[in-house]
Amino acid sequence: MRQWLYTLLFGMGSLLLLVVGCSEPPPQPLTIAASANVHYALDSLVSVFEEQYGVSCEIVVSSSGKLTAQIAKGAPYDIFLSADMRYPYSLYEEGYVKHEPVVYGLGSLVLWSFHTTDAEDLWQVLTAEATRSIAIANPKTAPYGRATLQTLEALGLEEQVGEKLIYGESISQVNHFITSGAAEIGFTAKSVVLAPGVDPKGYWLEVSPEHYTPIAQGMVIVDHDGYEVPAALDFYRFMLSPTAQSILRYYGYQIPE
Amino acid sequence: MQGMILLAMDFGPLWLTFKLALITTLLLLLLGIPLAYWLAYSTARLRFVVETLVSMPLVLPPTVIGFYLLLAFSPSSGLGQWLDQWLGVRLVFSFEGLVVGSIIYSLPFMVQPIRSGLASLPANLMEASDLMGKTRLITLRYVLLPNIKPALLTAIVLTFAHTVGEFGVVLMIGGSIPEVTKVASIAIYEEVESLNYAGANAYSAILFVITFLILLLLNLTNGGYFKGLWKW
Repeated sequence: MRQWLYTLLFGMGSLLLLVVGCSEPPPQPLTIAASANVHYALDSLVSVFEEQYGVSCEIVVSSSGKLTAQIAKGAPYDIFLSADMRYPYSLYEEGYVKHEPVVYGLGSLVLWSFHTTDAEDLWQVLTAEATRSIAIANPKTAPYGRATLQTLEALGLEEQVGEKLIYGESISQVNHFITSGAAEIGFTAKSVVLAPGVDPKGYWLEVSPEHYTPIAQGMVIVDHDGYEVPAALDFYRFMLSPTAQSILRYYGYQIPE
Repeated sequence: MQGMILLAMDFGPLWLTFKLALITTLLLLLLGIPLAYWLAYSTARLRFVVETLVSMPLVLPPTVIGFYLLLAFSPSSGLGQWLDQWLGVRLVFSFEGLVVGSIIYSLPFMVQPIRSGLASLPANLMEASDLMGKTRLITLRYVLLPNIKPALLTAIVLTFAHTVGEFGVVLMIGGSIPEVTKVASIAIYEEVESLNYAGANAYSAILFVITFLILLLLNLTNGGYFKGLWKW
């Protein structure tokens, strides 16, 4: 019995040594905290960036609100890509980051459904009596949710569909509700339906941008008590470069003038 | 300042949380006693499988349960379609759905204590009752259950408290609809995300105090502090 225990301890000990011993100090990787909607474009952006700059990146995807709360409490992120300007600005104004946020792209809203055979029908699906659940991002925490409410207001549909709205905590949960068929239709980010990984695609329709305030998405460098990871500045510049902008355009973002 | 927050606060999510916990506990009590009884006394081999299934929610991340429930209840799935067509109920994004989810999620908290309580009773209790010609139901109601009161109370309180603390399952299948599926844990999560820490704090503090009191009451009761005060 005791012998067996020693063997086990020895085994675990040598395993630990192996794990610790083998990991060389890596060339300071970059941790990118990104809001859910930009996740799809980010995979492409990061692979180009890694190739150009030889820096390895780690991506943390969550909702902007959660990431903001984590950054305020000292989360080890080096750069933050938000879904709006409000969150990065709140970090800036409260003094958690020293650089002012900048807009890297304007997000667009789409109507998306798997319960139709024709994109033209989507507005009918939205108002149909048979439709019982309409997924939108939570307007309290997600800018795409606020844009959705503005759109419904602009179209005078609030009253008609208000009871059917169900709220995803972030754009990713909205996508999950729509793709699983749990909600017949929903409003999501254009970057989602354009992403190559998203399949089958169902039908989507772009919401006319005149119905909502443009979703200006902000980026901010997160310093650690004043210290910025050098690669963070590289990534910041990269995100504003023509290369990155063309990738962002491909994913349906508009680039501010 | 704190008073202002309490006044401005929406108590809907808290009320909804306790309504959900109460309904779940009552239904689980009705479901849990027969199940625990069967697990405690059955000799069928199937009981090992059932027992394993019952304890699964203890170890599975609630998100796994929520994810599968979302897929199962979705109107595009077979089960979801059947429920929708034949019973007219939809278990995604509805209060009924949360109740079903919570029953699954809190099942082990009801069944395990009752099962252990029953298993720890001396066999001659039941044998004596059998010899007197009492039916199994009468034996359960008047002999077995009164002898496992602490276990029953533990099961009820733990189920209630565990359902109050539910988050992952509700997040997955709830859809955060005010007055329908937006329970307190979800409301706290949203307040934190919208950087309204004061609001999150108000909900959290209330939940903290209430759950503390519930569990304290349980421990005092099981510790014998209220002996003689309550009888049934």
